Amino acid sequence: MTATVSDARPTQPHQDVRRRRSATRRSRDQRDAWLLVLPALVPVLVLSVFPLVRGIYLGFTDARAGLGITTHFTGLANYRELWHDSLFLDSFRIGLIWAVTVTVTQFALGLGLALLLNENLRLRWLARTLALVPWAMPPVIVAIMWRLLLSPTVGPVNQTLRSTHLSDTGINWLGDFNTALPAVIVIGVWVGMPQTTITLLAGMQNIAGDLYEAASVDGAGAFRRFWNVTLPQLRPVILAITSLDFIWNFNSFGLVYVLTAGGPGGKTMLPMLFSYNEAFRYGEFGYASAMGNVMVVLVLLLLGFYLRARLRSEP
Amino acid sequence: MTAATGRPVRVRAEPRRTVRDARRLRSPGVRAGQYVVLALYLIFLAFPLVWLLSVSFKGPQELASIAPRLIPHHWEWRNYSDAFSQQGLLRSALNSTIVAAGSTVLTIVVATPTAYALARFRTRLRGAATAWILVSQLFPVILIVIPLFMILRDLHLLNSLGGLVLVYLVWTLPFALWMLRGYIAAVPPDLEQAAAVDGAGRLRILVSVVLPLLRPGLVATAMFAFISAWNEFFFALVLLRGDQTTLPLNLARFVGSEGQVSLGPLAAASVLATLPSLAVFAFLQRRLASGLLSGAVKG
Amino acid sequence: MKWRATFVAATAAILATGALAACSSSSGSSGSSGGKVTLTFQSLAFQKPTIAAVQKIVTDWNAAHPNIQVKYNQGSWDSVHDQLVTQFQGGTAPDIIHDEAADISGFAQQGYLADISKYLPADVRSSVPDGVWNTVSQGGKIYAVPTLLQSYVVMANTDLLKKDNIAVPQGTLSWDQLQAMAKQATTGGAYGLGWGLKSPTATVMSLSLNFGGKFFTGAGQDAKVQVGDAEKQVPERIHAMAYVDKSIDPATLTQSGTDVLPSFYAGKLAMVVEGNYAAQQITEEAPKTFNWTVLPPLTGTSSDQAADPQTLSVSQSSKHQKEAGEFLAYFMQANNLAAVGQGDWLIPTSKQARDAIQQQTGGKSGWTQTLAGADSQVAAPFQSAVNYPRWKDEIATPALQQYLQNKTSIDALATKLQSGWDNVNR
Repeated sequence: MTATVSDARPTQPHQDVRRRRSATRRSRDQRDAWLLVLPALVPVLVLSVFPLVRGIYLGFTDARAGLGITTHFTGLANYRELWHDSLFLDSFRIGLIWAVTVTVTQFALGLGLALLLNENLRLRWLARTLALVPWAMPPVIVAIMWRLLLSPTVGPVNQTLRSTHLSDTGINWLGDFNTALPAVIVIGVWVGMPQTTITLLAGMQNIAGDLYEAASVDGAGAFRRFWNVTLPQLRPVILAITSLDFIWNFNSFGLVYVLTAGGPGGKTMLPMLFSYNEAFRYGEFGYASAMGNVMVVLVLLLLGFYLRARLRSEP
Repeated sequence: MTAATGRPVRVRAEPRRTVRDARRLRSPGVRAGQYVVLALYLIFLAFPLVWLLSVSFKGPQELASIAPRLIPHHWEWRNYSDAFSQQGLLRSALNSTIVAAGSTVLTIVVATPTAYALARFRTRLRGAATAWILVSQLFPVILIVIPLFMILRDLHLLNSLGGLVLVYLVWTLPFALWMLRGYIAAVPPDLEQAAAVDGAGRLRILVSVVLPLLRPGLVATAMFAFISAWNEFFFALVLLRGDQTTLPLNLARFVGSEGQVSLGPLAAASVLATLPSLAVFAFLQRRLASGLLSGAVKG
Repeated sequence: MKWRATFVAATAAILATGALAACSSSSGSSGSSGGKVTLTFQSLAFQKPTIAAVQKIVTDWNAAHPNIQVKYNQGSWDSVHDQLVTQFQGGTAPDIIHDEAADISGFAQQGYLADISKYLPADVRSSVPDGVWNTVSQGGKIYAVPTLLQSYVVMANTDLLKKDNIAVPQGTLSWDQLQAMAKQATTGGAYGLGWGLKSPTATVMSLSLNFGGKFFTGAGQDAKVQVGDAEKQVPERIHAMAYVDKSIDPATLTQSGTDVLPSFYAGKLAMVVEGNYAAQQITEEAPKTFNWTVLPPLTGTSSDQAADPQTLSVSQSSKHQKEAGEFLAYFMQANNLAAVGQGDWLIPTSKQARDAIQQQTGGKSGWTQTLAGADSQVAAPFQSAVNYPRWKDEIATPALQQYLQNKTSIDALATKLQSGWDNVNR
């Protein structure tokens, strides 16, 4: 696969050679890239891309559950209905509050923990392992345990509140209109901390030692080293993990479903719960997929703003 | 210290104070503060597990008491024997191990070259891959379960652990690619170019230059892949039939109608389900390089 | 060049894994080879004695019917709905499906369940009252056998009642009586009544039948919600007990039924309203010194409650509906049903099975009162209203939760319920 170089131009041999070499390299790069990607390509196309395309397509149809029901293309009808669905818009608002709060808190706390786990503390292996407990517990037991911990009758949290007289009767954290969303947010942060912490920690491992050296030789204390070396070096990792965290948190479903099922009174009805109810409880696959499409577009827009703002401030 | 390129190291006039020295000289006050803050973090993160352990040793009467204590009054070993005698707990644990190990290995093996290709080469694939990664993470997974189910049914991959491994591979890839691409991008291309100039082939470059620097990122990705597969519930529920189960499915059987939960045995089974993950983490976290890299990267 | 070969090999390996998996996986749900029929039966039994009872039924059947073998699969209540939705879409549902009437009616409306009326022998039909058959029938077709019922009962701490000089009612328990007892028992650091109404809709809809409050008028597509005096009785009474009499512990109103029990054991609540299956939990986890009893069924103008039986159905796409129907009939035999009911502490739908339990337990642990409640279980209009699940999740549950937390008035509640139905059915 050599580039075609016209032999009728003997006057510029040097540029031709360079052009030829870079063209060869580019096409060889292309081929290498495809080969590197090949093992992933087939399973991904069959098991991921195809169902996704079908799922997205369903959002433009009236698909519903039922034996022998035919599906018709309905264009934008679902979206017109969604626009007027105040419950969906409410769930979207709750979802945003939830996702932003959980992501920001996860990041702040995770960064702090990663910094600590990067230090040369004693029993560091134990600390690193314990920090991953939320990851290690199966989701079904996570929700049950937190329900138990926060239980107004048999839970240790309320027991502590009662015995220290901070509260007389204890608080029904997951059942009270005012405390349900905050409680669920705290649990969401707990669940998501390991992946944020580990990702940031791994990123910190890659920061070159002599960058810190240079900074400390210049007289920078711990905080300035953190601000001027750690943070900028971590920037691509931070961008990656915060945007992924935001997406995952926004799409979170299983945890809140078991904790509150969207209650009380819809105070913790996240958009995914809503979409799940539409699809699995009422059988409205088309409408639920339309919700999914709307969520994808809106979150992409939000992420677009976030990433562009961050990337623009990069030197 | 010489860099991989063989260029001489810049010599400093002043005595070199590495950050390690600086850290060792950290004041005891700061050190103590660090331990305290770390302890607070760990209490928050690990207390539910501690309570789970406590619950797993309590009998039904004590679990229904409104004055719960951390140390059980009466140690109930029956929960553990009950959990074991539950149909198929050990076998489902074995299934989970196979599926999780298989999908972790496959994910690392498949994602690393793909991420490398996406990070280093400017191809049309890059845009398509980014779009796929984003959409697959954004679109509600529960809505694609049914089309996926139909495909697997048609491919005769239903009710097989191999089919589940493939599904986990495909659905862990987006995260793995996203993260590995970031880690690879942080490795400067000069190293690879230098090695290429020295005559190394593409595979050699990947294995001997990029991979070692990628180790922390690979460890993080492996942890994520393992735990995703180990704890995954929804796909397993829908794609496996009753006679083959994974551990999360088995745990769900402890929950009855009307929300009744056999809390003692469930806690015991959950402890048994949590320990392997913690063991894997304890093993893998050592691979997260301790301390900082020496100056091999920027010489 | 070696690395390129490596990658092609890796691709091949992955495809090979897929192919291997495909070959080794079992295909198809029921099979028949040479006259032998295999049926898959997914059971959700979860208590140990129930699992043992169901497995015994399967084993006995398999021994007696070598040509119709039933394969037992364990499912879980927690996830059966999602599983069925997916399996119905993909045509791989089990032949025999264990579920409950409230859940299964949606699937019946969608056409996924077989009409088994022709497979049920006359003795099975007559052993269960028509009111209960109505909960599993649509348009004259029967799509499930009702197996076990539950009812809401009041349980009381006999020591606390004795201490407050309250006589344990015999025969019937009227709502006024309950209110008076609760008020009298609210002394000495204890509340008279605890009621776990975190999910209030099912309880309110069912107990409103005590006063003839049906909530739904009309049928099918013309159904409408009407909240009149009869419908307002139950919510208003609960509200009055909680906020006027202050005899219901308000904290319990946001807890689930099982969450309330520990306070009951600790003597903080003299009485609790629970599903009757809670008797099993109480027997297992209450302190040995705890003395309790089940009070007679709650009665307003009647003791009617909405029946929501557990069900066994046959999938429409099953190739052996007749054989599956035969197994269902076998399951409904008195001794079989009695064994399963006892394991789960639930009430069998057939009179013969109930008598068997009465005989086997001697009526202890509240069985007598519990079994007596079976006679007043009827089908309610809300169970056949299309779109009821959506109305329940989006309108009724939040509105009732707000009312029970004293955030809205009874008239606002009525308006929300009525106009909410119109919204849902736009």
